[in-house]
Parts: sequence; C-alpha cells; structure tokens
Amino acid sequence: MQTQKKFVVDFVESLLEPYHQPRCLKVGKKEEMPARTKARAPSAEDADMEDAAPTSAQQVTNSQDGDPMEEDEDNELTEEEEAEEPQRVRILPGSTSTAASFEFLKEGHTLGNALRFIIMKNPDVEFCAYAIPHPSEEKMNLRIQTYDTTTATAALEKGLQDLEDLCDVVSEEFWAQREKFMATKS
Amino acid sequence: MDTHVDFELSNVDLSFANSLRRVIQAEVPTIAIDLVEIEANTSVLADEFIAHRLGLIPLDSREIDQLNYTRDCDCDQSCGKCTVTLTLHAKCSSDEVMKVYARDLIVGIDRPNNHIGNPIITDPDGQGSLIAKLRKGQELKVTCVAKKGIAKEHAKWSPTAAVGFEYDPHNKLHHLDLWYETDRASEWPKSKYADWEEPPAEGEPFDYDAVPNRFYFEVESAGNIEPDAIIQEGIKELQRKLAGLIHGLGENDDMNGDYDGPRSPDGMDGGAPWQDQGGFTTPYAGAGNTSAWGGGGATAYGTTPYGNSGSAGW
Repeated sequence: MQTQKKFVVDFVESLLEPYHQPRCLKVGKKEEMPARTKARAPSAEDADMEDAAPTSAQQVTNSQDGDPMEEDEDNELTEEEEAEEPQRVRILPGSTSTAASFEFLKEGHTLGNALRFIIMKNPDVEFCAYAIPHPSEEKMNLRIQTYDTTTATAALEKGLQDLEDLCDVVSEEFWAQREKFMATKS
Repeated sequence: MDTHVDFELSNVDLSFANSLRRVIQAEVPTIAIDLVEIEANTSVLADEFIAHRLGLIPLDSREIDQLNYTRDCDCDQSCGKCTVTLTLHAKCSSDEVMKVYARDLIVGIDRPNNHIGNPIITDPDGQGSLIAKLRKGQELKVTCVAKKGIAKEHAKWSPTAAVGFEYDPHNKLHHLDLWYETDRASEWPKSKYADWEEPPAEGEPFDYDAVPNRFYFEVESAGNIEPDAIIQEGIKELQRKLAGLIHGLGENDDMNGDYDGPRSPDGMDGGAPWQDQGGFTTPYAGAGNTSAWGGGGATAYGTTPYGNSGSAGW
C-alpha cells in the first residue's frame, strides 16, 4: 500500500511538471486541477484516489489572509507517516519541509482555529491557515509555511505544545479565581 | 447544587475562547441512557417515545473519568466499568393517573462509585423529570443501559443547558452590524457586561487594529456535572485532544493513533467510508461495520448509531 501510494503521487507530480514552471503561483494552483483529474482518469488506480485530495490543500492555500505567497513545490515529497489505519494526521501530497499541508481526521473548528492562531504566534511561521474542505467529512486541513529557520512539522508540534501550555495556564487561573470567589462568598 | 458559573476570560484570542466554548458544549463526556429494553409498555406512549425521554434524563456524571467508553472497555458487551444499569417498573392500580418520575428509576449496584448514573433530582418535591403518566391497569417495565458519551454524538450527553458567550459589549470592533430605526442606543438594550468596559468616547475613531480580548462566559449546567467542573473538564478535554495528536506525531512513522480523546460509545468510527462510490477512499477504511446495536445497519452513510437490525431498543 505504502509503495503503491508513493508511486501514484510521484507519477502525478511528474505529469504536472510543466505547470510548475511559473514559480510564483497564487491562485494559479487552481488551474492544475483539471490537468490532474484528466491525467488520472485513464490510470486504472482508482483505489488510491484520495491522492486527489490536494484540492483541499489548495483551498487552504487560497483561503484566508490575502498573503501573496510563494509556492515552492519541489518533487521531493515528505510523505512521512503512512501507517495502516487510524492515523489521525497525515501530510498531504505536494508538501515540502517548510511548506506542508496536514490533514487531521475527526477534528474541526474547535481545534483548527485555536491551533491556527497559536501557530501564527510562532515568529518562525510565515503562514498558517486551516480549512474544513467539506462539512460532512470529519476532516480538517492545516497549511503551515515557515521560514527556513524551522520546518512545518516542527512548527505544528510546537503549536500543539504551546496550546497545551495555554490550556494549563487558563485552567490554573480559573481554579485560583474560583477559590478566591468561593472564599468571598462564604 | 449551583447550576451557574459566570466568568470573564481575558488576554486570550477569540479563537481560543471559542474553542473552549465549543469543547464545553460538545465534547465534555457525561453519562446518559443509551439503550432501553422494554419488557412491558402498556402506556399510551410508544416504546421509542419513552426510550427517547429516558435518554434525556440527566444522570449524575461527576467523576466520569472512572467510567470507560463502552467501545474502549475490555468487556464483551457491557460491564460495570463502562455502563450503569437503571431499571424501572411501574404499574398503576388506582383510579387516579399515576405519574412516573426519574426518581422511580432504580440504579444498579455494579458501577465505579455510588453516585455515578443517579438521576438528577433538583426540584423541591424530589421527583425529578416526569417520564410518563399511567392510567389504571397500564404498566411500564424497562431496563436501561446508560453509557458515557459526548454531545457531539447526541445532545442528551450535553453537560450544559446553555453557554453564554459574549465579548465587546459596546460593539467597538464592529463585529456586529446593529440595525436600528432611529436611534441605536435606545433601541438596543445594553449588554449586562456593558458596565465592565469603557463605552466608546464621543467621536472616537474606529480602531481597525483592535482585537477582542475579554470574553464573558455564562455556563449553565444541566445538573449532571457542577458548572465549574464543566470548565475544568472542557480544558482537560481540549488538552487530551492535543496530547493525542502530540503522541501521534511523536511516533511519526507509525502513527496508528491509539487516540483516547472524546468519543461517544459508537458511531464516528465504525462506519463505512463516506463516499466510496466516487473512488474517493477516505482513510476511515471500510472495516468494522459493527456497532453495539448489531452489524445490520449499512446505509449509504455507513452504520448509523441507531442500527436498523431490529433488535430491542432503538
């Protein structure tokens, strides 16, 4: 499964080569889509269609903050985790080490927006946005683009950790204030 | 028991405050009746009607951590570590109409502690919620299985009746466009938090860089958890979410997330891929179409939590 998927991705990426020529793409990425769909149609590998998911990745890129950004797409894929089943996060195809799209399963705005905010707080991060590509799919996509000082995965991990620390602070403060309030009441 | 907590959360971002609100409303686990076996029902109400009413009765959910999700439990079907059994047997023998209340539910002894799953009774007469009314000769005999779950799955698991969430009482940020006929100030009632913040000065220019900073929460408990514990649980649940992801990311290549975040007894997981037809394989995978209600329920959207296997219950 793993190897097969890798192959499919590479195959698609190579087909898209000509489209990568203009290095600075903003909305241009959208134009790739028809090409991708057409290119895939004849290939008999419909089982792995989920690779077509970059749709959502691109939506992320185009949504939010009008940041004009450099799309630096190399062919090397950082397809990291590729486990059997209930893996909750995966990196979407087309990601590089400093610009990656992550797909979270069973997450929504609850995590997405808070995580987006906290990752944006990180000075090493150039851009971060989240999207829920379809309301009836329990998926949340998160796009992170960093400066060269760090990687997207590291920024994500830092964001998760920071958010957890923020929760700790709020939790402690809430309890401290509650105790204070209860003391004044009695 | 107190049912309210009001507090102000400051120096955080709107996104975080909203996450807290969302998690409190939808993902704090509680216990509620989830399976009802009806042995006798000669009342005027349909079986499913009564089952639904039973589901909505708030049950004591303090120290819910001691209870497992049924899906995660080691047991076969259900056990004292993941369920609480409640039974109800009432028969009207008098000429007057008999009212069956939540207090008439008898809670089974096999449970983690001696308060979890107790029906919440807060009214002065100590009766609890009304379940049904019986006329002479009518009988109601049911066995209920209460399970741990979250409100994302079904609102009966909601710990809160309502969560008030407000910021910027003077609308300085213009996040609202308040419609008015002639005069905004007189036509729109003042927020109860209006005195907490400075009203805008006369002719003050609009500060387009301003962001909301103070958030006013008003959490009203449904009775099953104390309101302040709901907040604590909410934050904990948010952290559990994060911890699950950090844990998953840490192992990188084998991220088979043994994720133990908020989940309802069933659903979400078990279903078939959502849109299999289009050749779009979701990583949910097709395996495991079975739910506690039996594996018969394959609709186009996968197994519904309600099953259509025709077994007792829903």
